Amino acid sequence: MGRITLTGIEKAFGHVEVLKGIDLDIGEGELVVFVGPSGCGKSTLLRLIAGLDRPTGGRIEINGADVTRVGAADRGLAMVFQSYALYPHMTVRQNLSFGLENIHMPKPEIATRIAEAARMLEIEPLMERRPGQLSGGQRQRVAIGRAIVRNPTAFLLDEPLSNLDAELRVSMRAELAALHDRLGTTMIYVTHDQVEAMTLADRIVVLRAGRIDQVDTPLGLYNRPANLFVAGFIGAPNMNFFAARIAGGQAVLPGGLAVPVPGRAAEGADITIGIRPQHMRLADPGAPALEARVTLVEALGAETVVHATLADGERILTVLPGQPGLERDAVVRLAFDSADLHGFDGAGQRLPEP
Amino acid sequence: MATRLKHMAGAAAVAPLALLARVLDPPLRALQRVAGQGGMITFFLVPNMAIFGIFVLLPLCINFVYSMTAGPELFLAQRDWVGGAQYAKLLDCEDYTRPATCDEDLFWTAVWNTARFVVVQVTLLVVCATVTALILNRELRARGFWRAVFFFPVLLSPVVVGLIWRWILQRDGILNAAMLDLGLDPVNWLIERGWAFAATVGVTIWAHLGFYALILLAGLQAIPRDLYEAAEMDGTRPARMFWRITLPLLMPNLLVVIVLALIRAVQVFDEAYVLTGGGPGTATLYMTQYIYEVGFASLLKNPGLAAAASILMGGVLVVLTLVQLGLGRRGESKGKAR
Repeated sequence: MGRITLTGIEKAFGHVEVLKGIDLDIGEGELVVFVGPSGCGKSTLLRLIAGLDRPTGGRIEINGADVTRVGAADRGLAMVFQSYALYPHMTVRQNLSFGLENIHMPKPEIATRIAEAARMLEIEPLMERRPGQLSGGQRQRVAIGRAIVRNPTAFLLDEPLSNLDAELRVSMRAELAALHDRLGTTMIYVTHDQVEAMTLADRIVVLRAGRIDQVDTPLGLYNRPANLFVAGFIGAPNMNFFAARIAGGQAVLPGGLAVPVPGRAAEGADITIGIRPQHMRLADPGAPALEARVTLVEALGAETVVHATLADGERILTVLPGQPGLERDAVVRLAFDSADLHGFDGAGQRLPEP
Repeated sequence: MATRLKHMAGAAAVAPLALLARVLDPPLRALQRVAGQGGMITFFLVPNMAIFGIFVLLPLCINFVYSMTAGPELFLAQRDWVGGAQYAKLLDCEDYTRPATCDEDLFWTAVWNTARFVVVQVTLLVVCATVTALILNRELRARGFWRAVFFFPVLLSPVVVGLIWRWILQRDGILNAAMLDLGLDPVNWLIERGWAFAATVGVTIWAHLGFYALILLAGLQAIPRDLYEAAEMDGTRPARMFWRITLPLLMPNLLVVIVLALIRAVQVFDEAYVLTGGGPGTATLYMTQYIYEVGFASLLKNPGLAAAASILMGGVLVVLTLVQLGLGRRGESKGKAR
């Protein structure tokens, strides 16, 4: 069991409100990722769930039991810290056994659990070393091992990969995903890296300024962002946004190109149209398109990132497949499918379906 | 604009130094042309080496020569060479644990008093400093104020410390006055043997506690907070957290504190001398006071014997200092391994 329910969670440090009413239901065995920009409250929320801090308002339930005032040790959760927080004066084995000795677990059982975790994480040869003698990736495994041996109701991971180099991060990410599949335990994962979020999560919680902006599956967020912030935050490079006005039942873009309105909006309303850089292509001659002047070409081999400006000076970014052979200052005509357009109202919220 | 102002203020502040550098530049360049770069190193080191040589190294050597001579005369030329006789006199003893059976009984009284003082004072000092540092490391109200309060006695001159506490503890002192007011019988704090010893221990702890607590506080603050959070998640009770996490991680600082406190305790003199004068009788006569009195203050001055005693005490201090240096090196190499 590992169902976690948050109701109206608030947290303030003095006069600074960090979390402003968080409601969230995390299902058993789910891997939920908290993402958001720095200072959005994602780590604070994780610490509240862990029991390392107390909320100023609201209620935390684990498997239906109210644990809001229960200490961290008694919540049955395990946490992997960004800094790993391994005890530097203890060997790997002692690091793993420390928490189990605290609850006076019989020695043979401790040995069994440690052996099992060590085998699973492939850290058996490292058991008698101290954290100072391990590489970053090995420390990361030990930190995960320390969480696993406790057999927790849920794992809490606070940016666990952010101290690793890019290559190791990719392989550890895959290992974490495999580990989650094997253990089937609920995991809450905090990161600011959207690739991690997209690849690992069953559901992503996008936080901004202490509130939840959207909770959805990775592809749900990508395909149906609830507002401008989520649309801009998820997906790399960022989505392009254009100011548009509804005229004659169509959205008129800068330069006069009229496109179907992606949603319901009143005649004459000012809206924002969004399109992902990957959803644009070079237009066929004569077809309706956005005309832009290339300012920078980043050829990555498999794809090419083209920076350009529209006639009104608006900047636009496109990712074109292959190597289209564009030069700086060239004029390109960019087309897209109207199905790939996203529409947002004046308040930045997604337009309702037509 | 603001940055320009800042820049100008900075330039004005360093102007005298810049001027000095400009004035010194030509003669130093000329010197370097003559002496070469290696010569310049010597030129800069010589003043300090001279001071160290004249005021430390030379007296040390003269002291050693003195320890091989006898008589009350001050000038070496007038003194009689006796070789190791002073050392033999100091070490001539039937039973070292009973000073009365020794030729120089006061020396052995002082040795045992100092040994007792070192054991009791250093133990209590380290425990008190650790407890103080642990408390000051918590999120107290007015933490800066409390840290200053505990550090303040360190800034006082030892003689002032001794005087303050003598006014408090002497027979007609403040403490006895307060006890009388409360209807309690006054105690002869500085006249009864046990209390006098306790007073020298207590006062030296009070005077030095802040310094050691500060070293330990620095050690405590270097322990990452998330280790405690990890331990909290692991369900660690506070006592176990102290013994298994705080204490092992504080050990490098604790070892430095213990060795420094040992060195200073062996040298105890000024506070104790002002407070009790070594009394009652010889109850608080410590090594340094013995050396001072034999060499300079007693009627039968014996600088040779005092010099020999100081060389023996110096030997103990050298051992302690080597231990401290060794610990420092070990700490450094451990730091590098991390």
